Amino acid sequence: MTTDELTRRPALISSAIAAGGAVLAVVAGGYASPVGLGFGIAGAAFLALGFVRGTNSAIDFGSLLLFGGVLVGGYEGGSVELALLGTVGAVVAWDLGQSAIDLGEQLGREAETTRLEAVHVASSVIVGLLAVTVGYTMYVFAADGQPVAAVALLLAAAGLVTIGLGVRYRRSGELRRGGSQYP
Amino acid sequence: MNTRHLAIAIGILAFTLAIAVLGNVLTLGVGSWAIILVGVLTLLVALNTLTRRHGVRDHGTTPDPEHRYRVPAPGAELTDAVDQFRSRRNDLFVPSNRIHAGLREAAIAALTRFQGLTPAAANERVEDGSWTDDPYAAAFLSPSVDPPERSLRERVTDRFVRDVSFRDSVRRTGAAVAAIGYTGLGDGAPDRSESRIATYERDDTEEDEPVPRTTQTPVDGVVERSSRRTGHWFGVGVVALIAISIGTFTESAAVVMAGAVGIAYAGFGHAMEAPTPDISIERTLSEETPEPGDEIGVEVTITNESSRPLPDLRFVDGVPPGLAVSEGTARLGTALRPGESVTLEYTVAARRGRHVFDPALVFTRDLSRSSEKEFLVGSPTSITCEPVLRPITTSVPLRATAATFSGRLTTPEGGSGTQFHSVREYRKNDPLNRIDWNRHARTGELATLEFHEERAARVLVLVDARKANYLAPEPDAAHAVDRSVAAAGRIAATLLEDGDTVGLAAIGPLDKREEDGDDGPVEQCWLGPSSGHHHRAQFQNLLATHPQFSTLAPPKSRRWTPQLEQIYRRLSSDTQIILLTPLCDRVSSDIVQWLDARGYAVTVVSPDPTTDRTTGNQLARVARRIRRFDLQRTGVPVVDWPADQSIDEAFARINAGSGVSSRSGSTAGSTAGTDSRSDAGATTGSGAGTGTEAGGSP
Repeated sequence: MTTDELTRRPALISSAIAAGGAVLAVVAGGYASPVGLGFGIAGAAFLALGFVRGTNSAIDFGSLLLFGGVLVGGYEGGSVELALLGTVGAVVAWDLGQSAIDLGEQLGREAETTRLEAVHVASSVIVGLLAVTVGYTMYVFAADGQPVAAVALLLAAAGLVTIGLGVRYRRSGELRRGGSQYP
Repeated sequence: MNTRHLAIAIGILAFTLAIAVLGNVLTLGVGSWAIILVGVLTLLVALNTLTRRHGVRDHGTTPDPEHRYRVPAPGAELTDAVDQFRSRRNDLFVPSNRIHAGLREAAIAALTRFQGLTPAAANERVEDGSWTDDPYAAAFLSPSVDPPERSLRERVTDRFVRDVSFRDSVRRTGAAVAAIGYTGLGDGAPDRSESRIATYERDDTEEDEPVPRTTQTPVDGVVERSSRRTGHWFGVGVVALIAISIGTFTESAAVVMAGAVGIAYAGFGHAMEAPTPDISIERTLSEETPEPGDEIGVEVTITNESSRPLPDLRFVDGVPPGLAVSEGTARLGTALRPGESVTLEYTVAARRGRHVFDPALVFTRDLSRSSEKEFLVGSPTSITCEPVLRPITTSVPLRATAATFSGRLTTPEGGSGTQFHSVREYRKNDPLNRIDWNRHARTGELATLEFHEERAARVLVLVDARKANYLAPEPDAAHAVDRSVAAAGRIAATLLEDGDTVGLAAIGPLDKREEDGDDGPVEQCWLGPSSGHHHRAQFQNLLATHPQFSTLAPPKSRRWTPQLEQIYRRLSSDTQIILLTPLCDRVSSDIVQWLDARGYAVTVVSPDPTTDRTTGNQLARVARRIRRFDLQRTGVPVVDWPADQSIDEAFARINAGSGVSSRSGSTAGSTAGTDSRSDAGATTGSGAGTGTEAGGSP
């Protein structure tokens, strides 16, 4: 009388979009650099493994490789546009990959999750595109001749803010993590 | 003020300075070494953080309310199964000694019951090891028998892994006892060469079992249960920083910009907090009072009552633990605009009883999915599924005790009726229609025909619903109490149709297992023997709603004697009792003996929940068989009801097996006024004496 066991596998729509992001990252990284392509393909392979097995760490590692490919491609090719798009692709692959696994574990593949996944995809892509727009605008307007001091200060600012937020993160993570209710 | 605030403050200061430098408001004389210094520092911090990434990710896990509530199989714990054989309790505390003593008694019990040995002979057989052909089992039970030499590998393993040989011996001995206990069963002895692993205690596999309930406590409205950071974006900022550092070293604008995008995502991941949903749930059932087996469509409407959108809502409905989802899934992932509602549909298969929906489990996350909150949302909905009182196709094997009303139970006493009993001398005032006119015509003498008196039976259907009886061969199959209750309804329907009077009672804890609105104390189930439409409806309703008949096992067991005494005080002695019990523990036969000793004519109808997957299961099956056997030997008829048969088949087999039905003159040959406990008991009892299956296949 019971239904079959829930298939706790990654959700399909998110996985598909994540694969799309991975392809974008591979293309962006491999366009100008064979090393970048190698990184990208290795990353895509790990991502695929992550989706098949539903393991978060494979997704993490695969996306990191994808991003590495994008960086190598950006360094060798020097195309800011490709680097920006490739980064968005890698981050989307990572983000949606994790979301797909979470959704699969919590709700299973049978559940209707289209709307939820649509929101995920939209938020992830829109944030990426906004970042690209702002970053690219800054890049175009301040392309040449920024003082070294400004770059150093900006870098330090970014680092400190991230550390500050990261510390908040870890604190709250320890204090507020609700124990899992079910085995 | 802590590190975090300090870091952010200095960061903001640095950012302001950078903007000032860019805008030519300020000029700082620093060389490229400053960039390298900051870059190296960032890289170190980033690597340090990355190494701590592992295990940060966290998300709420969901239970499986789609599943039915699960019960163990008899003998799930070997020690318990073995303990059933032991005549004395609490004398040995070391588990290994208990198992040893128990198995020894089990072997003796099986030998005396199924091979016709006297206890002394059986004891001797066990002593000299000739009771089984398994040398390890023989040696395990007898100190005078040497076990065969074990292989080197086994001896080496035994050195390192504790208890291997002990476990193996227990397993083999259990299988040997089961092999004796299975004689005469059609499905043959268990295959001993096959490796069957006995579980000693409830082991770790239990951990992986699905949790069929969202929560056990009732919830009103939306209640937050926990809140956590999911760690979804954790690490992205660090990776971005590394990219920026590398970009700065290599003076590559592309790499720096790639890192900057990553920083944007990191900010996104920190910006928001999971909302507390103001949602309402409404369940619509296609049918609120279905019959068992019906498919009920459940439609859950979830509405966002707040004025804020819910970007991420994950919903798991609290399907009642007694019901299983048969089609669709009770889960939904969605996003809800203010005032919007979505509908989730699935189908559950109805089962007997009152089923209350558990609170639904709801997770919300913020748009970036980096924080998650877990809520329980209550919305009391219930399904009451009354059993169908469909009469059994064959008669109920009653004992020949009857009440004083006329009815259809054929008694051994002579009187008026339809079935010939005897002829006696004419006495004054004998009714004319019973005078044997043929004889009068032949010989001129007056004689009176006696017929079997037909009277109504007064029957109490007693359901043994103690905690120990929540047992099933498969974890989510109908358990013994479910089957007992279903059978109780059908037995009552049959008897009522035949004009008998039927009552209902139960032994079992009175705890409420489904949270309901009313909080009154629960009375022991009691419905005095009676008849009529109203009575029938009451009977049906009690079977569906009384907490003692709940499909969920009670939290703990209670004492049963006060409940039996209560029944004893209320019940007249000419009432016979049909006791529904799986006979899977010692207490069940104690109950039968208790009732028997107080003069009630007891018939046991025993749904069989045993299985034979492990040694413990097999031993439990043998123990039940011995118990059934011993009851029959004391004259109590036992109807064995295997899990794969309907109650109709079980009764038909008994009626056919005894050659007679109690309704069709089973007492022919016995003289009037004999002990009423004659027919079924004697028939099945004699069958038991020769070691064949009582009431076995014809």
